[in-house]
Amino acid sequence: MKASIFDIGATGVDAAKIVDSIRETVAEKMRQGVYTDARVARAERTNLENLRDEEEFHSFYLECLRDAVSVDISDFDILERRLRFSGLFVALKKTIWKLLKFYTYRLWSQQNLVNGLLLSAVEGTENGSRDRIQALEARIAKLEAVVGKDGTAACPSRGP
Amino acid sequence: MPKPRTIAFITPRFADGPTVGGAETLLKTQARYAIENGIDVTFLTTCAQNHHTWKNEVSPGTRVVDGVPVEFFPVDENRDVETFHAIQQRISRGLDVTRDEEEAWIRNSVNSTALCEHVKNAGEHYDRLVVGPYLFGLCYEVSRIFPDKTVFVPCLHDEPFAYVKTLRSIFDSRIIMFNSFSERDLAKRLFGEAMAKMPVVGMGLRPFETDASAIVRELGIDSPYLLYSGRRESLKGTPLLCAYINTFRERTQRDVKLVLTGTGHVDAPPALVPHMHDLGFVAEQKKHDAMSGALAFCHPSVNESFGIVALEAWLAGTPCLVHACSDVLRRHCRESNGGLWFRYYGEFEEQLMMLLDHRDIATALAESGRRYVLENYTHEAVSANMMEALKT
Repeated sequence: MKASIFDIGATGVDAAKIVDSIRETVAEKMRQGVYTDARVARAERTNLENLRDEEEFHSFYLECLRDAVSVDISDFDILERRLRFSGLFVALKKTIWKLLKFYTYRLWSQQNLVNGLLLSAVEGTENGSRDRIQALEARIAKLEAVVGKDGTAACPSRGP
Repeated sequence: MPKPRTIAFITPRFADGPTVGGAETLLKTQARYAIENGIDVTFLTTCAQNHHTWKNEVSPGTRVVDGVPVEFFPVDENRDVETFHAIQQRISRGLDVTRDEEEAWIRNSVNSTALCEHVKNAGEHYDRLVVGPYLFGLCYEVSRIFPDKTVFVPCLHDEPFAYVKTLRSIFDSRIIMFNSFSERDLAKRLFGEAMAKMPVVGMGLRPFETDASAIVRELGIDSPYLLYSGRRESLKGTPLLCAYINTFRERTQRDVKLVLTGTGHVDAPPALVPHMHDLGFVAEQKKHDAMSGALAFCHPSVNESFGIVALEAWLAGTPCLVHACSDVLRRHCRESNGGLWFRYYGEFEEQLMMLLDHRDIATALAESGRRYVLENYTHEAVSANMMEALKT
């Protein structure tokens, strides 16, 4: 039977084993889109610099951004804490919100369009770079297979 | 060389009260080790307390603080802060900087001509000058006065400033005293094989008593909390921690609070503010109480050379959650089995859920961490290491 990561042995826990197991779970959940979430994109904003070398993370981050790209203009619960005239205040606030939404329509719809276009451009650049790197890696591997990894076959031996 | 008889310890600030910094605390502790070993110690520092303004706030002169004789010197007030920040910004963005610009950056960093003059005049009196950390003009200038006597404690991080060519000469000092093997590996990668022979010393800790319920009672918290202690700034990862906890609360609907101790402004998402308790600068006992009551101590910084607070958290009986991009913290966690390391949000969420739902695992991690500190970081062991290093 495979030991659970939650088993605590005589010498205590194995942190590396727990981290590895959690990474497997997270990788699976990422494939299922569990973390493709605008909130995750916002949370990861300051982590981008730390993970600049992790190609997979950037692809995942761009996926999350797809979810976060639009300005949130959906309606929300409008409440009033004051007891007197609360109905009147709620009605007033709702009217203000509707007017605000109406008069800013051009602004946020254009912003959404620009955000979408920018994200597509970044995704395009990312995909293009990845394809180019893959093609170059394949070419290097092919060249190495011909001349040998240390380049010895390409350099004829010099005489004494 | 036999045991040195007189040593000057030099840092830009002296760790006292709210003037807290890892490097400052470390050098102060090492100065105390030297005193305990019968060495005549003088601590040389500046009158500045705030690492943002670098204003001369303490009066110059000699005083004994916590048993350490300290000489305070004024910071030079003629620095061109604008030039300094302009070049610093370019360096931190990884842009090319000329040698002249690097020198201008160092010249306009924190310096104290009075302190340097003192070292030039009285330097012959000292057998060793223990200087650090690496990032300040003052430390760079002092290291060039008597390189043969200088023991540099760089507190090196893998950050753009570590690649400034002018600062390389610091690593020509007689001894480079590292805080961890990860830090020494980094120095070896950046400054060559010679670094591999340099000693790793660090800092020891003493076990302490805690009251895990003290902070819970004081703050009226009825749910588990994560704790962070230290400077609050983007380099230390506090915005990341706030964003992660906020997202965790929203996504999982689990009520986990965030408690912070230390100095600096916290820029938290508005939705997190009612669930965050910022205690500011607190006394050591209160910090340790806060540590022992926490579900976990979270250290989101990737810029660490030792990670004192993580070791303290283990001593307080609390497991750690650290950023995997910090080699130092990850290595501590891996070697101690006292904590877990995350690269991105998904891993953080799963790890925190595990600690919430499997308290036995959290307890076992904490116990392993405590054992690791007690076995490897006692004052006696670290002090002996340091004395051996100083004889080199």
